[in-house]
Amino acid sequence: MELQTNPASAPTAVKTDPLQAAQTLGNLLRQTPEYGAFLKALKAVNSDPAIQRLSTQIRAHRSALQWGHDAEGQHTAELARLELEMEDLPAVKEYHKAEEEVSLLFRAVDEIISQEAGVAFAANAQRSSCGCGG
Amino acid sequence: MEPNEETKTAARQLGQSLRQYNYVRSYHDAFEEIQADPEASALEKKMYDLYEALIARQQAGEILDREDTRPFYELRQQVQNHPLISKRNDMLRLAKPYLSQVADEISFLLGVDYAVLAKPQ
Repeated sequence: MELQTNPASAPTAVKTDPLQAAQTLGNLLRQTPEYGAFLKALKAVNSDPAIQRLSTQIRAHRSALQWGHDAEGQHTAELARLELEMEDLPAVKEYHKAEEEVSLLFRAVDEIISQEAGVAFAANAQRSSCGCGG
Repeated sequence: MEPNEETKTAARQLGQSLRQYNYVRSYHDAFEEIQADPEASALEKKMYDLYEALIARQQAGEILDREDTRPFYELRQQVQNHPLISKRNDMLRLAKPYLSQVADEISFLLGVDYAVLAKPQ
């Protein structure tokens, strides 16, 4: 199923370079309080030693699971415990809150872009993460 | 979350400039051709209706077997093979790399993936 926007209502044509228009928009988004709070929360998460320690442990358990080393379910159980511990940290909670707020703002902006372009912008601009050409 | 007026204006300008891009324009033309063709639009509507009906059955707890889903896959094949629908989908596919490139301009300035954060849930 393709994500599409009804392009029926054509707005007044404006000749602007899309890349330049994207830069203007990007610069404005950088100045918003939502983006500022998100960046601050992201930096806090990236510099928190407890989070880094938990991340390392979580990665190790995930790696073990990927290699099928979990005959007694110890890695699964430990991974679940560590992920819960991680989610309970104040910096992580703050990060999720800031991410949700910046995402709400970006979605509102994207709705305007998509309406004007007549095509769902972010949904169609997102690169495939699977490397399968989709 | 309401963007401020300056941001709304910039978003409108970006959207309008994207609308002028060749493949997006061709996509719109193809879209309108489908709208003007009762057979093509009815075929596509039938596929979406069937898809939603199957999803509703699944959400109601029904386990669907191959015979339940076969009509949908057959219809989807017909839709994908329809020349007008196929043309519109091709135009959208051709537009996507440029849409990604434009989104990358925003992501580069922000240091985060705009398309991921802005994608509707």
